[in-house]
This record gives sequence, structure tokens and C-alpha cells, in this order.
Amino acid sequence: MTTATYEFNTQTSAKALDANVPQKAGRTLWAPAFAMSLMGFAGGMILAIVKATAIADGDAVLATSLDNYGIAAMFFGFMMVFTGISFAIARILGEFRVGGGQTQEAAGSEVKTLKMPATAKAFIGLMAMAMMILMGAVIGHVVVGIQINAETLSLVNAEQWDIWLETARRLAVQLYLFAITLGLATIIYVIRYQSIRIREIAEET
Amino acid sequence: MTATLDRIVRPEVNYSVETGHRKIGLGIGLVALMIAMVVAGLGIYAASLVGSAGDEETLGQVLAVAFGFNTTALVLLKTAIAVILVGILVRIWIRVESVKTSLDVLKPHVEVADFKTGDVETEFGAATVSAKAPARLPIHKMANTMWGPMLVMGVVSVFAGLFVSWIWAGNVGTSTGLDAAAWTQGLQFLGEGFVLASISFLLASILSGLREGGGEVQEALGLPVKTLKMPNTAKAFVVLMMMGLMIEIVQFGLYIYITTFNDVARYALWSSWLGPFRELGLGLLLAGIILALATIAKALEFQFSRIRDIVVTGN
Repeated sequence: MTTATYEFNTQTSAKALDANVPQKAGRTLWAPAFAMSLMGFAGGMILAIVKATAIADGDAVLATSLDNYGIAAMFFGFMMVFTGISFAIARILGEFRVGGGQTQEAAGSEVKTLKMPATAKAFIGLMAMAMMILMGAVIGHVVVGIQINAETLSLVNAEQWDIWLETARRLAVQLYLFAITLGLATIIYVIRYQSIRIREIAEET
Repeated sequence: MTATLDRIVRPEVNYSVETGHRKIGLGIGLVALMIAMVVAGLGIYAASLVGSAGDEETLGQVLAVAFGFNTTALVLLKTAIAVILVGILVRIWIRVESVKTSLDVLKPHVEVADFKTGDVETEFGAATVSAKAPARLPIHKMANTMWGPMLVMGVVSVFAGLFVSWIWAGNVGTSTGLDAAAWTQGLQFLGEGFVLASISFLLASILSGLREGGGEVQEALGLPVKTLKMPNTAKAFVVLMMMGLMIEIVQFGLYIYITTFNDVARYALWSSWLGPFRELGLGLLLAGIILALATIAKALEFQFSRIRDIVVTGN
């Protein structure tokens, strides 16, 4: 006797369901996010080398300004890499949803598809929050860099901004990682459901 | 060691039970988030000290402690991810048993058609057809063996760095403090690199599980075994992972090297690019992880298509 799938929150249909909107976005956008992350990392590293040259030349204003641009580029890369990971996880969840439905349909059974679990909803919410914080920090670094270069911001104020923005960046990265943990935890839930469901269909046959 | 790690991911449990990895992983993640909140508080406090005369040493101490705790929170979050990935591996092997048992009932009982072994093209890319399940690839053997040691080495390095960060905090503005700062950064980012490498190896183990499991199901049913060949995303994943890990090892060596400098200006110059350099290493490891996940999605797409073929045609 199998464990019935009634302990899971599902929706029933005659045909397999298509991927939902976040899963479709994941399928389309993981590759651009991957490419943009590499561009961000390369840009950040190049700016760091230029900054080191400015330090060697004793130009503190230029070095501090470049430091902010470099951090902005590097963390744009991190924002894109975490977004790419989140999209790739969404794509995997989409494969389970569509593939699981089509398998049930092929077996001539009614198609039971999991409704979006709470972990998946939290995954999307936290990822969006992390992305907004990190985007804000990246823009903040560019603005600070411009102000330092224009000499409208003192180096003391620049240091203060640097610490605030670093705090925001750290928090955003941690939220991203927790969002990814939630996304992966959803995969465990989905595979458990599918392992039970396929046995249930075999028993019904 | 491979056998021990294989037992961890292939436990003999009932297919319907919850294995606990999800709860443990999310629990570790929540602890890390709490540490992250402390780090955020320290950051706000540190910013309030900037420009206050006489608070320079306190500012340095707060920043040193915040750095140590931040990296610790990050490694805990990555450990949580590693625990969840182990849970996915366990689930994949439970799924293999479920699919094997169910397909035997669901597939039409027809004669297995003659088939040619060798390479074939599918809509998902190049694949091979064989009579037996394919053997584990060398990269998969390595992944199945290395994820555990990498995880342990990573966590140990980061916690060692956390202890050194307290020496840094207690010696701000001295040469001992500078040395401790370099050791903290080098050790903690080496640890971060190891943990991300462990996650990469776990993802490769998931790919290995999908490949072996898929072969095992088809062979058990007496069907031609169709296996997807390694996609380009998987090859690029291995390259990025190796590059990222190499950078983390090199940055560690370079941070130790700068502790030999007697000239503070030279130390500051090297530190100015070593920070982005170590972040580049982590970035490449993370970029590799995107490709590994994309490869998993592709392997699943191929597997579901094969399962449907078996259910519909019996072949």
C-alpha cells in the first residue's frame, strides 16, 4: 500500500500543466544572467588593477573613486550570479512540474500537480528582496564614486558610506543564499511527492 | 571513502519518509541569518564611529569582528545548502527505486525491439545507447569522494579564520594586527572556496546519480539504456570550478606572502587588489554552479522524455 498523495496540496487536471511564470522566466533568463555575471566579475577585477595603479601613484581621490566603481561591478556580478542560480533552480522545478505531469498523462492517469509550496513562495520573495538591496548597494557605490571624483564628498563621508553599503551588500548576499536554500528545499519536497505519486499510479493500474 | 559516502546518499529507507535534510538545512540557514543580523547591527554601529575622534581603534575592532562573523554566516548558509543537496541526492536514489518498480507495471508488455548500440542524436543533445548501464565517469567518482572532505576543510578553515579575526580585533594598528588581518582573509576565503567546491561536487554527484539511476532503471527493465552524453554546460562547469578553486588557493598563498612585508604601503597596495581577486574566485565557482544546475535541468528533461517513451511504447 502506498502513502497516498493526499498529504500534499495538489491540483488535478486531465492534461499536464505547463511551467508557471517564474519557471518560464528561469528557463529563459538563466543564461543571460550567467553571461552578465562573468562581465561583472571581469569588470570588477580590471577596475581593481587600475585602482592599485592609482594607489601606487599616490592619487587617493582617484583610488577611492575607483574602489567604489570596482565594488559596484563586482557586486553586479554577484547579483547576476545569484539571480542565475535562482533562475536555474526555477527551471529545474519547471522540469519536474512539466515532466511529472506528462508522465502521468502518458500513463492514462489524472494529472495531479503540486501547488506552489510555501518554501517556493518564500524563495521568490527573498530572492526579489535580496536583488533589490544589492541593486541599491551597487547604485549607491556608483553614486559615491562619482561624488568622490567630483570632490563633492569628503573621504570621511565616503568611508561612512562604504561601511553602510558593505552592510547592505552582506545582508543581500546572505538573503540570496537563504533564498537558494529554500529553492533547493522545494526540490526535495517535489521529488518526494513524485516518488509517491508514480507508485500510486502504478497501484491504480 | 566512496563507499561510505555512497551509503550516506543511498540509505535503506521507506520511499515515503521525510529524510530530515530539509529541516536540518533550513535550521542551519536560519541560525546563519541570525548571525547575519548581528553583522548588520555591527556594520551600522561601525558607520556611526567613522570620523569620531578617539574611536579609531574601536572602529577597527568592530570591523574586524564583523568580517569574521560575516564570513562565518556565509559558510553556515553554504553548509545549509550542502545539507539540502545531500537530501536531494538521497531523494534521487529513492526516486530511482520508485520509478523502477512503477515502470515495470506501467509499461506495455511488448517484445523489446532490436536496437543498435552506439551514439545517437536526440532533441536534448548527443546520447549513447548501450545494453548495460554506463559505468561511473572519473569526474563523477571524484565528485562522489570529494564533497565530504571539501566541506569539512572549508568549515574548519572559516572557523580558524574567525578565531584569528579576534586576534586581529585585539591588535588593530599594529604589525600583529596586519598579519592577523591577512591570515583571517586568506583562511576564510580559502574556506569559502572549499565549501563552494563541495557544493559543486555535490551537484556533480547529483548529475552522476541521475546518469547512473537512469541507466539502472532501463537495465532492470531489460530495455536499451539511453544515456545523455556530457553536455557542454557540464564541461564548462568543471573548468569554472577548477579556476575558481585555484584562485582561492593562490589568494591564500598571497595573503601569507604579504605578512612578510615590512612596508605598510606595499601591504596596502597588495591588499587593494587581493580583495577583488578572492571575490573573483568565488564568483567563478558560483558561475560554475549555474551551469551545473542548468545541466541538471537538461538531464531531467531527457529523463522525463525517456520515461514517457517507456510508458507509451514499452521500449
